Amino acid sequence: MEAMNTCASCHATLNDAKLRAPAREFGGSVHRDDRIGCVGCHNGDARDPTVGAHSKAAGFDPHPTHSQVPVICGGCHSDAGFMRRINGRLPVGQAALFNLSLHGKLSAAGDPNAPDCSGCHGKHDVLSPTSPRSPVNRANVARLCSGCHSEETRMAKYGIRTDQFAKWEKSAHGVAFKKGNPNAPTCTGCHGAHASAPPDASSVAHACGRCHEEEMAFFEQSPHSQGFRKRGLAQCVACHSNHDVAPASAILVGTTPDASCMKCHSHDEKPRKAADDIAALLRGARERAAEARAAVARARDRGQHITGAGLALDHVATAEMKVRGVVHTLDPARMEARIGEIDRAVAETLRLVADAERARLLERRGYYVALGLAGLLLLTLTLKVVQLDRRRRRGGA
Amino acid sequence: MSAARDDSGGWLRERLGWAPLTAALAAYRIPRGNIAFYLGGTTLFLLLVQVASGIMLTLYYKPDAAQAFRSVERITGEIEYGNLVHSFHVWSSDLFIACLFAHLFFVLVRRGFRAPHELSWLTGLMGLVLGVGLAFTGDILPWSQRAYTDARVGSEFAKYVPLVGTWLNRFLRGGDEVTSNTLVHAYGFHVAALPAALTLVVALHIFLLTRRSTPVPEEASRETIPLYPDFFVRQAAALTAVLVVIMTLAIFFERPLGIAADPRLSSPGGAMPPWYFLAIHQILRAAPTELLGIDGARFLVSAACLLGLLVAALPFIDRRGSKATAVLAWVLLFVLILLAASALN
Repeated sequence: MEAMNTCASCHATLNDAKLRAPAREFGGSVHRDDRIGCVGCHNGDARDPTVGAHSKAAGFDPHPTHSQVPVICGGCHSDAGFMRRINGRLPVGQAALFNLSLHGKLSAAGDPNAPDCSGCHGKHDVLSPTSPRSPVNRANVARLCSGCHSEETRMAKYGIRTDQFAKWEKSAHGVAFKKGNPNAPTCTGCHGAHASAPPDASSVAHACGRCHEEEMAFFEQSPHSQGFRKRGLAQCVACHSNHDVAPASAILVGTTPDASCMKCHSHDEKPRKAADDIAALLRGARERAAEARAAVARARDRGQHITGAGLALDHVATAEMKVRGVVHTLDPARMEARIGEIDRAVAETLRLVADAERARLLERRGYYVALGLAGLLLLTLTLKVVQLDRRRRRGGA
Repeated sequence: MSAARDDSGGWLRERLGWAPLTAALAAYRIPRGNIAFYLGGTTLFLLLVQVASGIMLTLYYKPDAAQAFRSVERITGEIEYGNLVHSFHVWSSDLFIACLFAHLFFVLVRRGFRAPHELSWLTGLMGLVLGVGLAFTGDILPWSQRAYTDARVGSEFAKYVPLVGTWLNRFLRGGDEVTSNTLVHAYGFHVAALPAALTLVVALHIFLLTRRSTPVPEEASRETIPLYPDFFVRQAAALTAVLVVIMTLAIFFERPLGIAADPRLSSPGGAMPPWYFLAIHQILRAAPTELLGIDGARFLVSAACLLGLLVAALPFIDRRGSKATAVLAWVLLFVLILLAASALN
């Protein structure tokens, strides 16, 4: 594949901007870095410095078709031996995964709306996904998907909604992503990359469960698990929604009109009581945790640095997270055990704040003693000044 | 037994040469109401408070970008009375700069720079430059986000100093960018180079004081008091009051550390430089991109350097010490306070 690249040196000097552009774009691509020449994709004879390089006999193909692109890319990227020589860190088999995906199937069928490899990675200017400029870089991939999936005319044919990106941006995932949380999922986090496929009602918990393992395990143990399956409800999505997933909070549970439970159980007495009990437990824990955070914040506002407060609040947050997991069992007894962890962490935080406050008061008392001593010293020195002034005046007189 | 004790006092006094020393100090006379002398003594006292508290902080501080912030957090949160020592150090540093400015200002308005006091004036100005350097390098040491921003912005403006700007910028940063090298450089300056230089300058300043018979020319006719014991007792009273002020500030007005430096974060919103740079910060903030065909910031920093040189050369420009100089000093002070106040709004 590695070849003398006379293509670029000739194309770079052409008058036609359209023919010049590939040479310029290729100059900054990862393939140029890896010394994969133009012939790697277009074939032809790169050793010939004349137009003879465009030899049909050498298989020159200036415009690979939509369905040919994955085959061309796969020619190298599915060759484990070759890829190991070029870049051992890169996975292989993306072409096979792509062929399994909905994108791949539509692309193979010649659908011009479906992306081929170049649709996401670029053509001549392919960059490493680790490059911040690459469209498939984690920072850019949601916008890349949105480029097609937010386009109403393009999506109308498939009956796919176009508000996913707008919803995701405002969701708990999108907000965490913007804050730089490396674990917050973008589109590929749930849908996959090369093998992208929309999770259906029965598989959505597996998509969520890749990160929210504990929540998924507890959900499987809950009465909801069987019930949802029977009714064909989309597991996590039924309560949390999908692209616009809200931050998990106690208000999801309960009997208020906003609570998710009321979507299905507004008239069922027993589940309503369970929802009320769980909501009360969560509300109490949330208030106590908030009290601990407020106590530390108040101390910090006073300029106090409380040793271990950060760690103690981390314990509170961890315990809260564990409660958020166990709430999926809908079992108040199991929740109480974990709420006990929150209470212990809250008590530890409040103890540290109280200790710091005691130390502050002691410091203040010490200050008042020192102030008294300084006052006495100042008085003595003032009297001495008066005495010296008198003595000097008498001496002068 | 009693006789032996009395004798031991005399033994020490004799070996210290106490009588000739107090006689010499008593012979040296100070104008009774000259605030500049009290400010000089107070500045020296504040420097000593910083040295003492600084030594204690050095025992726990770690001059490493990865550990500096945590070590200061440990000092202020975990080490017994560490918070108090840290607060003492920080507040005495601010008061030190304020007293240094006030000392020089009162010398300026009383035209105490005139012959034969030119060298005292120059050593005083050198002390001011070194003192500000000491405070600024200390400001960087906690390696908080604010400290990082100060280091970045401060060293950026150093680039505009005429002739030596580029070198100074690289020297302060310890390279092209603000990195852990910058912190190590700041630490070296703060605990070794600047204190050593300041000690020499202060020693020279005091030595020059003792070399002249009349402290302030036009005040020779005023009522004077002996340096010892009259002035010393008054100064001790002033220092007791200053100590109370530092104590009060340290106890009631703690200085939050903020968050650890993270070069990936943008500068904190409403970030302000240390108060002694507020006026120049405001001038540079309002600077046009270009002035007389020169980069605006470069022009203004060069103008500030020129003004500094003019102030240093004052004893040689205004040999008689005209009253216009005192008036100009008051106007300059007013403008600086106005600029600093507008920077805060």
